Amino acid sequence: MNGWHGKILKINLTDQIVEQEEVNPGIAKDYLGGRGWAIKYLYEGMDPSADPLSPENILIFATGPLTGTPAPTGNRYMVVAKSPLTGALSNSNSGGEFPTWMKRTGFDLFIFTGKSSKPVYLWVNEDQVEIRSAEHLWGQDVHQTTDILLAETDPNAKVACIGPAGENLVLMAAIMNDKHRAAARSGVGAVMGSKNLKAVVVHGRKNPLMYDADAMQKLSIEIAKEVGVAVKAGSALREYGTAYVPQVTNELGILPTRNFQSGQFEGVDTIDGLTLKEKYLIRPKPCYRCPIACGRLTEVAEGSRYDGKGEGPEYESISSLGSACGIDNLAAITKANYVCNELGLDTITAGMTVAAAMEMYERSYIPEDDIGKPLRFGDADMLIELLEKIAYRDGFGDILAEGSYRLAEKYGHPEIAVTARKMEFPGYDPRGSQGMGLLYATASVGASHMAGDTAYVEVFGVPEKIDPLVTEGKPALLKRFGNAFVNIDATGLCVFLALRYVFDADINLWPTRLTKLMNLTTGANYTPESMLQAADRVFNLERMFLIRAGFTGKDDTLPPRMLHEPLPSGPAKGYVVKLDEMLPEFYQLQGWDKNGIPTPEKLAELGLSEIVN
Amino acid sequence: MSVFDNFFVIKISVKLLATYRKKLPEGTKGCTCQIEVPTHSVVRHIVEQYDLAFDETNVVLLNGRVTDPEQKLKNDDVVCVFPALAGG
Ligand code: SF4
Repeated sequence: MNGWHGKILKINLTDQIVEQEEVNPGIAKDYLGGRGWAIKYLYEGMDPSADPLSPENILIFATGPLTGTPAPTGNRYMVVAKSPLTGALSNSNSGGEFPTWMKRTGFDLFIFTGKSSKPVYLWVNEDQVEIRSAEHLWGQDVHQTTDILLAETDPNAKVACIGPAGENLVLMAAIMNDKHRAAARSGVGAVMGSKNLKAVVVHGRKNPLMYDADAMQKLSIEIAKEVGVAVKAGSALREYGTAYVPQVTNELGILPTRNFQSGQFEGVDTIDGLTLKEKYLIRPKPCYRCPIACGRLTEVAEGSRYDGKGEGPEYESISSLGSACGIDNLAAITKANYVCNELGLDTITAGMTVAAAMEMYERSYIPEDDIGKPLRFGDADMLIELLEKIAYRDGFGDILAEGSYRLAEKYGHPEIAVTARKMEFPGYDPRGSQGMGLLYATASVGASHMAGDTAYVEVFGVPEKIDPLVTEGKPALLKRFGNAFVNIDATGLCVFLALRYVFDADINLWPTRLTKLMNLTTGANYTPESMLQAADRVFNLERMFLIRAGFTGKDDTLPPRMLHEPLPSGPAKGYVVKLDEMLPEFYQLQGWDKNGIPTPEKLAELGLSEIVN
Repeated sequence: MSVFDNFFVIKISVKLLATYRKKLPEGTKGCTCQIEVPTHSVVRHIVEQYDLAFDETNVVLLNGRVTDPEQKLKNDDVVCVFPALAGG
């Protein structure tokens, strides 16, 4: 095959057996790759109602057909499993270098089943595949683990691993690759830990074959040049990373502040991209072959109590570890971000969970004895201390390790948790960005911005600016964004580049250029229509996974703060999420019945009748 | 400035975010500056004053909300401009 290798590596951890499987070309095309192939294998391979931390869960690492090709930002992979945080799907994306090297092993997907009786890691050097003991690595953090593995495999290999958080089955544990990049959300690290799989190490030289290598090279250069021109003219992503965003969301009144009690943070000037650039930035750090380079290599100098060196923080980490916790000290936020990366924690859920605990402490819902000390908004030292305790499930950290939903429920105040499907919100308060409200309520992963980020339009004006406060048109907008994100996650590109450069620059998000990239790579004769239909197929199969896992339309909802507590100040003052105005239309556009279940006609239209029955 | 001038001048804030920060007067703290403009000024005038276009390449907000380019300004209004660009 071209683009795809058409090969899957299946690792049965219970019996320590490794097998290869060829992929049927028709299936390859219909499900695109990456996130698409992964849901097909997950759906068919496990009982969706299984316990996510049991050996029945399946953990999938999935590259796309464009991963490892010349396509700019073709450097992504997806981690897919049943989520222990939400009980729904995990669809976590990451870049860096690991995904490209994984593709170069000659396999598109790694599928892990069962559970090893002892800690192990997987070492794949093309066809040489070994399950090795990881007993000497258990307990080591992400940096130590990575360094040891590079020393004992190949210094040019790439490593994805869990830290102590994943080992301890913390429900917000991430899978870290290249030390600083994270497939972070919804507890994929805990799934890896539950399988006693500490790390995956990859190396290889098998670049995917190209259907039309010359034309692919040309088109890739054309895109890279366009990005280059834009970067030269001044690119906020290159100059500030995503850290420029707090000022934008603050201006719109949707920067999560003190556990979403407000949408504007008085300390925004000290936690933004300019401060990061002036005080802590060493240089921008790109993922493999990325012309944008939004990553940040940073250092907080020795002498500061928050000293350290690493990557980030990104916007999401600044909002969750910063404004959401009432913390305006960027050195502390940067340190907290390093700690999360080293211990293998999702910065969003970790920060937002501590934020919920801070609010509950201040409202006297959590007795001080349980925590051991006061826990007030703005207390950066407590944040950092608690992150460590979460990763090791130490003391109060053991309760926080379950996320804010379970924390708030335990103390009898479920209304404090700002979650959807029990997953913490990212950095856009949906009361001032209605499309995001619909997204959080319906996304199969729970409250994620990476499942169809309408903030592009509502906040950033890409490809056009639409009023974030209106609900009209948002269901249709989210449907298009949802499909675009499936296309991006399935093919293996980075959203930051893809949404601007491989879809038509208008609100319809027609995947003209993405289709070209796919055809030059795979030769599979896609049309923009068939690309979108494939996205729809993947999206609906994911939905069916949730339905089979026991979710219903009733779960497509938001916490009371979002539905009943208006934002107290700022441009969105007085607004709640008007979910009722959007949800029925969204179901209808998706071809779902009034309970949110795909209709038999819809499933038949997508060729899914057989697989779901 | 005579008392009379107050009738012809309003004070507004201009916020330029992301890469547009550099267009603020040197020495500006943060990303906001206060300016005086003639009454009857509209949002578009302010955007153009900073050599920026009120078009799809930029997001222009008036008091944090989407705005019409010809919207008339009043005292204490905040005009915010940043390049249309994906984020986090
Ligand atoms: S835009 Fe940023 S996240 Fe995306 S590939 Fe480039 S450096 Fe990585």
